[in-house]
Amino acid sequence: MSIEVTNVTKKFGDFVALDDVSVSLPTGQLTALLGPSGGGKSTLLRIIAGLDSADSGTINIEGTDATRLPAQKRGVGFVFQHYAVFKHMTVAKNVAFGLEIRKRPKDEVKRRVEELLELVHLSQFSHRLPSQLSGGQRQRMALARALAVEPKVLLLDEPFGALDAKVRKELRDWLRRLHDEVHVTTVFVTHDQEEALEVADEIVVINEGRVEQIGTPDQLYDEPANDFVMGFLGEVTQLGDVRLRPHDIEVAVTPGLAGAIEGTATRVLRVGFEVRVTVATSGGDVTVVLTRTHARQLELVEGTKVWLTAASGATTVPAMVAV
Amino acid sequence: MVDVSTPVKWLLRLVAVGYVFFLVAWPVGLVVQHTFDAGFDNLTEALSDEQVVGALQLTLMVAVWAVVINLVFGVGISLLLVRFEFPGKRVLSALIDLPLSVSPVVVGLALLLVYNGRDGWIGPAAESAGFQIIFDSPGMIMATCFVALPLIIREVVPVLHEIGDDQEQAARSLGASTRQTFWRITLPSIKWAVVYGVVLSLARSLGEFGAVKIVSGNITGQTQTATLVVEAKYQNFQQQTAYATSFLLILVSIACLVVVAFLRPKRTH
Repeated sequence: MSIEVTNVTKKFGDFVALDDVSVSLPTGQLTALLGPSGGGKSTLLRIIAGLDSADSGTINIEGTDATRLPAQKRGVGFVFQHYAVFKHMTVAKNVAFGLEIRKRPKDEVKRRVEELLELVHLSQFSHRLPSQLSGGQRQRMALARALAVEPKVLLLDEPFGALDAKVRKELRDWLRRLHDEVHVTTVFVTHDQEEALEVADEIVVINEGRVEQIGTPDQLYDEPANDFVMGFLGEVTQLGDVRLRPHDIEVAVTPGLAGAIEGTATRVLRVGFEVRVTVATSGGDVTVVLTRTHARQLELVEGTKVWLTAASGATTVPAMVAV
Repeated sequence: MVDVSTPVKWLLRLVAVGYVFFLVAWPVGLVVQHTFDAGFDNLTEALSDEQVVGALQLTLMVAVWAVVINLVFGVGISLLLVRFEFPGKRVLSALIDLPLSVSPVVVGLALLLVYNGRDGWIGPAAESAGFQIIFDSPGMIMATCFVALPLIIREVVPVLHEIGDDQEQAARSLGASTRQTFWRITLPSIKWAVVYGVVLSLARSLGEFGAVKIVSGNITGQTQTATLVVEAKYQNFQQQTAYATSFLLILVSIACLVVVAFLRPKRTH
């Protein structure tokens, strides 16, 4: 086990950012800390890095107790949401910073910087200043800078949060490939469930200072531990007394199946290849997602009477009592 | 931009230029004119007067010391104010602005009360240990430090706020100690603000009059700075020397302004 977080609590005044959190993050994996903004995931990452300190609890990195170690002695690389580039240094100098601090020989520093810039595809920019780079390039530079010191753990705090959607997607794929090449234990914070599901080996869902569930993307999606995890990882609708995904509802235009819930399609909206239907039932509105072809077969239009059932094998959780 | 008609524009310009001309340009110009009304004679005469030369040297010494001390404390206090939370921070911040609002004469009197050799709080003890504060250079340096205190801090604090502490945290996570982070990251980021603050402090320190006059005792040939010599010479009917010394002070101020003008655009990039 690489990083062991045990019973960590952190308060900012009255606000409880982390409430008795225990997590173990395995060596060599890419782990996502996923949760809504203000849920405590960034605080946890900063405590692991030593940039913040926990009120109580311990942090153990690769078998050494790091709870009282200052940030510069923890052997972690940290990548910030807003890049935190050293504005007055060239790209090469930025990447060399950690090595120069460690007083490595000049030729070794030079060779290593060249290697890393190659790795992040920035070789031709080595003499530029960060202000001459795009957001995505800056973040890749920050990543190279963090990797230069050969950290035991790489921590990324919403690394793609400040980038536009397209660059974000590119960098996401690139991070996954990079991790397959470099194999450093990596933890990244995100509030984007798609990002976490796509990139991570393992996801830790954090909400209101507590760990809601830990598991692989499949486990989380297929077997959510509770209503919150289910709702956070994808769209959810309520059918009768269970909550399930809108695409896991079977629609029939004739009554037949036992336990089917009767309703009327009140809104039919086509988005690309899928059709989103709002069905008014006695238990409230239900959202159903069908493929375009399927909707056509059923001749589903606004006002059509439908009977809804949960598809067999659908992921469901009991609905919470409405408050 | 407010849209105003052309005549109004010209009128406003005329008022502004006229105001500055009558208040600043003309008086200063007259000093320069009087300095040179006998060619370079006034200047060479002033520069061969031991009293003037001694005063200029003393002024330079006091100003350089005050700037160095304010530089160290100014950058330190700025970091304290921006990067740390502690009780009394607002009070400290307000106290730093005090020298801007208090008359330098009052500053001189206050220092005199605390550090004088007869009944001050610290003065008698220091004096019996052979260290004179009031009526000597330490007191003059203190008075100058006091009046120039806010200048560096008020330049550096906004820049520190603006750059944030992301870069410093990144440096720490890359293994830099507090000292390495300061020299390699923080100082290069604020250097233009520091240089600008130093230039302002230097100009202010060279021109200080009221506070220094009280704590120095204004002893001719010993504790008279350039500004005090200007007053003394003028009252002694040696106006030409007074004008020449004033001219030298103006020259330094203009040099400071030129340096600042060169630095200004760099800070915006």
